[in-house]
Amino acid sequence: MSDNGGTLEQAKAAEDMMLRELAWLWPIGVLTAAAIVAVVLAMVLPRERQRLVGAWVAGAHLTCAALAAAVWLDRGFRSTMSGMVLVDGLSLALAGIVGVAGAACVALAAPAVQDTDREGEFYAMLTFASLGCVVLGSTADAALLALAIGALGLATFVLTGYRRGSTRANEASIKYYVFGTVSGAVMVYGLSWWFGLAGTTSLRTIGVALQSAPAGVVAVSTGLVLVGLFYKAAVVPFHFWTPDAYDGAPLAVAAYLSLLPKLAALVALSRVLTLALPGDLAGWSTVVAVAAAVTMSLGNLAALRQQSAVRLLAYSSIAQSGYLLMAVAALERSDRALPALVYYAMAYAVANLAAFAVVIAVQRERGSVELSAFAGLGRRHPWQAAALGLSLLSLVGIPPVTGFVGKLELFTASIDAGQSWLAVVAVINTVISLFYYLRLLAPAVLEPTPTTPSDLGRSLAGRTVLRTALATSAAAVLLFGLAAQPLLALAERAIMLPL
Amino acid sequence: MPWLTLSVVLPLLAAALTPLLPARPGRAPLVLALGATGLAGVCVAATWIRFDPGQGMQLVEEATWIPSLDVAWRLGVDGMALVLAAMTVVLFVVSIVHGLGPEPMSRAAAGLLLLLEASCLAFFLAEDFFLFYIAFDVTLVAMYFLIALWGGEQRRYAALKFFLYTLIGSLPVLLGIIALYLASDPGTFNMIRLAEEQPLAGSGLGASLAFLAFFVGFAIKTPIAPFHTWLPAAHVEAPTSGSVLLAGVLLKLGTYGLIRVNLQMLPEAFQQFALPVALLGLFSALYGSLVALAQTDLKRLIAYTSINHMGYVVIGVAAAAASGVSTRGRELAIDGAVLQMVAHGIVTGALFLLAGMLAEKAGTRDLRELGGLFRPLPIFGAVTALVFFASLGLPGLAQFPAELQLFLGAFDAFPAVGALAVTGIVITAGLFLLALQRAFMGETPERLLGLADLTRREWLTLAPLLLLTVALGVYPRLALDAIHAASWLT
Repeated sequence: MSDNGGTLEQAKAAEDMMLRELAWLWPIGVLTAAAIVAVVLAMVLPRERQRLVGAWVAGAHLTCAALAAAVWLDRGFRSTMSGMVLVDGLSLALAGIVGVAGAACVALAAPAVQDTDREGEFYAMLTFASLGCVVLGSTADAALLALAIGALGLATFVLTGYRRGSTRANEASIKYYVFGTVSGAVMVYGLSWWFGLAGTTSLRTIGVALQSAPAGVVAVSTGLVLVGLFYKAAVVPFHFWTPDAYDGAPLAVAAYLSLLPKLAALVALSRVLTLALPGDLAGWSTVVAVAAAVTMSLGNLAALRQQSAVRLLAYSSIAQSGYLLMAVAALERSDRALPALVYYAMAYAVANLAAFAVVIAVQRERGSVELSAFAGLGRRHPWQAAALGLSLLSLVGIPPVTGFVGKLELFTASIDAGQSWLAVVAVINTVISLFYYLRLLAPAVLEPTPTTPSDLGRSLAGRTVLRTALATSAAAVLLFGLAAQPLLALAERAIMLPL
Repeated sequence: MPWLTLSVVLPLLAAALTPLLPARPGRAPLVLALGATGLAGVCVAATWIRFDPGQGMQLVEEATWIPSLDVAWRLGVDGMALVLAAMTVVLFVVSIVHGLGPEPMSRAAAGLLLLLEASCLAFFLAEDFFLFYIAFDVTLVAMYFLIALWGGEQRRYAALKFFLYTLIGSLPVLLGIIALYLASDPGTFNMIRLAEEQPLAGSGLGASLAFLAFFVGFAIKTPIAPFHTWLPAAHVEAPTSGSVLLAGVLLKLGTYGLIRVNLQMLPEAFQQFALPVALLGLFSALYGSLVALAQTDLKRLIAYTSINHMGYVVIGVAAAAASGVSTRGRELAIDGAVLQMVAHGIVTGALFLLAGMLAEKAGTRDLRELGGLFRPLPIFGAVTALVFFASLGLPGLAQFPAELQLFLGAFDAFPAVGALAVTGIVITAGLFLLALQRAFMGETPERLLGLADLTRREWLTLAPLLLLTVALGVYPRLALDAIHAASWLT
């Protein structure tokens, strides 16, 4: 080796290695590039061409999913960027979900944002949010975690307040932003304690340091860190923003918020808990289990009284966070927990998307999302009613649709982890949830259409994409249940690094 | 030929085809439903021909489904499954012919009936817990819509109550299934393996909890008092065919599960709980008959006698599980219990049909407003009397041999319970005679004089059930040879 740091060959080899390393970051890279290009496109394209940005962004999302699959199959799993980014089964599965569900949300949003004044920027923001989700799901580093949470919060805040003219939207986005920032700051404060204890931002090294730290310090700092993640995942008692935000945001954004940031936060939560607090340090299994029980119970009970389909789905999504947390709580004690989390995430994604798609279709036709607006849906649009039925039964967990297999997995993980009491709580909650899901479904199937003029002269533009998204997600609800094997096999391989 | 698979898949396929039928009212949905049910019947008949009564679980059909969980499409029959599947087909033929109302059968009605039929058959034939549970829950969904769409005035309330209550029942069953799955090694949903290996053998805490989870689920379905409160509302509001299927087929899901799971997979735990379960059965039998005695709505009355009759079945199953019972007593109890399930399905199906027809003819089911119906409706009256006698257990009719065997078995295990339960038969006899007297004897009110007697279509609906009622009473071996528990209950 010469004095100036190496031969040309060595430098080339190092450069080559770095480039090859980048291959693992394709899914993140494509979203980054797509978001930047979308911003440029939004600036240069004339207003009537802005819908191209939507097509671009949807394509980028699908490419992200495809690249995640390619990396998984072709490259395998790897800890990269000096261990800051983990490209493993869990993060690639999340990237796949973000890609597909993100594209679906673009399709759902298209009819509503088409020809509005900031159409292109909307899609750019949505892509930034997706980028935040994917990074959040693959980080093994406290600083990157804080960065991802912050970026995700900013992007979703813009999306929530997209309907500038509406006071409700303004209130919702301000609420969402203020509480989000505060909870994020609390989390960063907690992470600073960890940094102080370990002298590094690597979660894995923090995990080593925390084992010898005073128990009180570990408990307090862990509590602070959990606040930010619980907020993003809509875990009680940090859930209160959900109904207002969903109500004020465009419906497609509500569908997005109820899904991707939540799943990303839960994946990050799983990583933080297992990496930084190995071996059930600070007793987090029980803490998360209790949070799961409280979240599902409160979400379901609050959903009972809702009159608007969106608020009902908002509380339902809180309850679903509770079910997903069952898997997180079992992570340390059962190797069935991670597959359960991944499978249920996919099941929840398609069911929730299908439900929101029907709500959007009804909103466009009837101009309302009150439960009464669903009366007679079965007579007018039998297929929409069927999609609604499938998705809601899936959210309850009635077989043979995908939610049932998901709940089977979750309950099995809980019982296997010795948390049978949590499974019993979930069973009681399932019965409660049937009650309000039927409040939405029953008028759609059983009641005739009220005799008010239904054609409000709304624009029918974008109906094809909406219909495609609806049909695809509803078909997936049924298919993922009846032919669960491929997804279960995928979920079983969706491991977390390091083993 | 995979006859068992076909018997499940054909109705399911037909149900999937119903949306493609023409939308205008016509005979097509009826023809499709009846055709598919007929084919399912042919499949069950073919199975019966190939069935060897001397063997246990047999004719198993298996196909991979979810290897990760060792879930597979597994169907098979033993004596109990076979006769219940046959009974299911008969009752569905009858219900489809009777229809869901005066209008021609709609596409939705045909689709739901076929879905219900496929799931009931799948439940009885399933030898895999995954399929078993799917079938168990799909019956709920289909029945919910049948009641909610074609029921009486309070249909929404009754349907919701039915759905919620039975879901409360089915979820503990799911937990029980998971417990058995986790206890087996390697984990499996294969019911044949679980019955053979008994992963939760013994009477430890785990086995007891699993037993109770299954028991609560099946008790709500059966229903055993005090878990029965959903039943009267559902029956009163359901359309006639819905009641026939609810009482005839769906209640059997509960007792079938009790035998298939609790008795066969958790025998030691059941032994421990045999006496309490028998006492609950006794309470159910007496409570059902006493409450039925006080009813004036004919449908409600029949609904409560169902609780009474299913109470006997529970006593029989508990007797078979008891520790002190002899082998002979155990066989008698189970033979009787299964035969009672079939006989009750046939007889109660006929009872609900008659109640529905009476309501159509006379405009009311209220016994206080009826009277002297023998004069305008002599043939209808005679048929009703026959079915009433069958239901109260008259020798020569279907329920007599069943109850006789069942009580012989029960006396062997729990003499006191058996003795007290017999008083239930006396009360039931009294209430049926009283109902007959009130509705059919005495003065005929003016407005009931011009009623038309049984039509050809009504005859057609009733005939299979009446024939089976007599045939099973005179020659119970028709079903008993297949049922005979000694060959499959190990």
